[in-house]
Amino acid sequence: MIVPMTRVRILGPREQFESTIAAVQDFGKMHLADASPHAGVTPARLDARTERRRRYLLRLVDDIDEARRALRAPPSAAAPTRKRGPTPAELARWARLARRTREAAVALRERETSLQEERALLDRYREFLAAVLPAVRKVKDSPRLTSHAVVVPGSARAALAPLAAALRAELGAEFTMTTHALAGGDVAVLLVLPREFSAHLEERLAGARVPEVPLPAPFRDLPLDEAVPRMLVRLGAIPPELGEVAGERARLLAERGGELARARAAIGDWLAIATAHERGHVTAHAFAIDGWVPEPAFDELAAGIARASGPTVVVESVAREEWGAEDAPVALSNPRLFRPFEAMIALLPLPRYGSIDPTPFVAVFFPLIFGMILGDAGYGVVLAVVALTLHHRSQPGSMLRVVTEVAGPCAAFAIIFGVLYGEYFGDAARRAFGIPALLVDREQAVLAMLAAAVALGVVHVVLGLVLGAISMARREPRAAIGRGISAVMVVLVVAALLAAFDFLPARLFTPSVIGLLIAFPVLVFAEGLIAPVELLATFGNILSYARIMAIGTASVMLAVVANQMVGAVGSAAVGLMFALLFHLVNFAIGLFSPAIHTLRLHYVEFFGKFYSPGGTPYHPFRHGNGAAGLQPREVSR
Amino acid sequence: MINMWIAIAAAAAIGITAIATAWAQARIGAAAAASLAEKPELTGTAIILVAIPETMVILGFVVAVLLILRAGG
Repeated sequence: MIVPMTRVRILGPREQFESTIAAVQDFGKMHLADASPHAGVTPARLDARTERRRRYLLRLVDDIDEARRALRAPPSAAAPTRKRGPTPAELARWARLARRTREAAVALRERETSLQEERALLDRYREFLAAVLPAVRKVKDSPRLTSHAVVVPGSARAALAPLAAALRAELGAEFTMTTHALAGGDVAVLLVLPREFSAHLEERLAGARVPEVPLPAPFRDLPLDEAVPRMLVRLGAIPPELGEVAGERARLLAERGGELARARAAIGDWLAIATAHERGHVTAHAFAIDGWVPEPAFDELAAGIARASGPTVVVESVAREEWGAEDAPVALSNPRLFRPFEAMIALLPLPRYGSIDPTPFVAVFFPLIFGMILGDAGYGVVLAVVALTLHHRSQPGSMLRVVTEVAGPCAAFAIIFGVLYGEYFGDAARRAFGIPALLVDREQAVLAMLAAAVALGVVHVVLGLVLGAISMARREPRAAIGRGISAVMVVLVVAALLAAFDFLPARLFTPSVIGLLIAFPVLVFAEGLIAPVELLATFGNILSYARIMAIGTASVMLAVVANQMVGAVGSAAVGLMFALLFHLVNFAIGLFSPAIHTLRLHYVEFFGKFYSPGGTPYHPFRHGNGAAGLQPREVSR
Repeated sequence: MINMWIAIAAAAAIGITAIATAWAQARIGAAAAASLAEKPELTGTAIILVAIPETMVILGFVVAVLLILRAGG
């Protein structure tokens, strides 16, 4: 559900403005809003000294953040507990620490980058250099010979053989050529030839537009026979140097990381207060702070402010008629079992305040539809085991933890539907032990599954329409009536069809049709001429649930094919391996495809009937929320 | 002879819709990937947009199944 909010206004004497802001931050549950404009009331401004201090602290925060980034410090979870701002002595110490650490950490980062680039460059030619090293050493022993390394583009590879033949004919047996294919497709070539021919060769290569190997800068001026061994030695020396850099960074982080994190949190708190200060309004003698608190927390706020600021500061609740629902921030609050499914709502813009939080409905229908599609007890058990394992290894609050908590109910429903369908890794259990389907065999009863899928679609879409009617009842009564009439018409159409095909008593047909004839003009009156088109779209939405049958049938057929591989591919062992591989692929598809399609059924078919996006996230003004404090005007109007 | 036409009709029902879905998803998918690179918060919308054309092939599959099971006896 969406937490009900109360708009509050705190009023008091001007001299208690700062202490009241600090008390609100200590309270930690108030979402600040700009104060309502009134004659004689002006937005509060920071004095020149405080503004200078803020600029100084912003530079300090920049130093701290850059140092922490360069040190690869993990995000700090520690919230400051101090109730006062940093002292000048602390600030001076933190400034020195941040500047020194930033310089050292950035220098380490630059050195690491340089080493990595050098290694990447040397690595590129490592194989080639190692391959030509014997030839280069041989050349070194001979005063008459010299060596040249060139890179030939892959497209010019064919020209190498004629070039080598021509040079061999010209220079005799002293000329040798060694080639080596590089990873990018080019060919590295080592040419050994008489020293007096060197200048002539370079002319010939230049004429042929063949570039020489670009050696790294420190080795560029050395002869190849000296450069190659040194480069290989250098390549071996880089990893220990990288290790030294990593060690030094870890030492710096261990020594200074904690202090930097504490400084960042304390300064963030102070900056947040400065931003909050600007959000308040003042007169010559009084101040006003506006905001929102969750309804149950109103008394707690009033008591907290009374304790901190005394009876001269008043906390009042603004009447509901004075604020619009679109201004209130949105916080979702659901039972623990439903909470992981809030992640699916988080993929969309937040629902508007005053509309309906779909999380409880998603928590019920998402696992249900997922299980109906996957519908295999074997796959369900595997999914449950994987989810449990990952759950134990994941951090509380992490995305992986949320995914495993969603996967749990999905696995449970997959097992339930698997038992109803008689599917245990496809038809494996049926083949081996003759275990039958308890309800319906998906492999055979395709039409029954289609009917079940569309029936679920009717229930889901009608529920969406009813929720839409409830959600709109206050804001748009006519549209709400239209949603309600649409829901009734869907039910009447289904009843008429079932009666026409003898699934319901035939006597229901006529009343259903009469009901439709009455409802139709009401629908057009409520929603306009577009209403019939929207009603047709609603039936399209319902038919879209046929995908539950379609994807489920595809999944079970793949599993059946996997099982048929045992015995169909020569030896049973090979067949079993193929079957397991195929089941693995089917399992992966069976997780991905139902999840995507179930999400789509919710987002398009279900949410489309009632979901009203555009809510402002609830960001309470509290300690440890320093980053938010740096962003001006991030709260609602 | 009738069975042959039923089979051809079923194949056309799923084949044509599959091609249409693939064509639409290729275009939407490319655009969605480009959008997500700049605005990751559009993930939900991207999923919706990419999954929307699949309705065509799914309904094509349903029609093919109905053709085979009902018309094919």
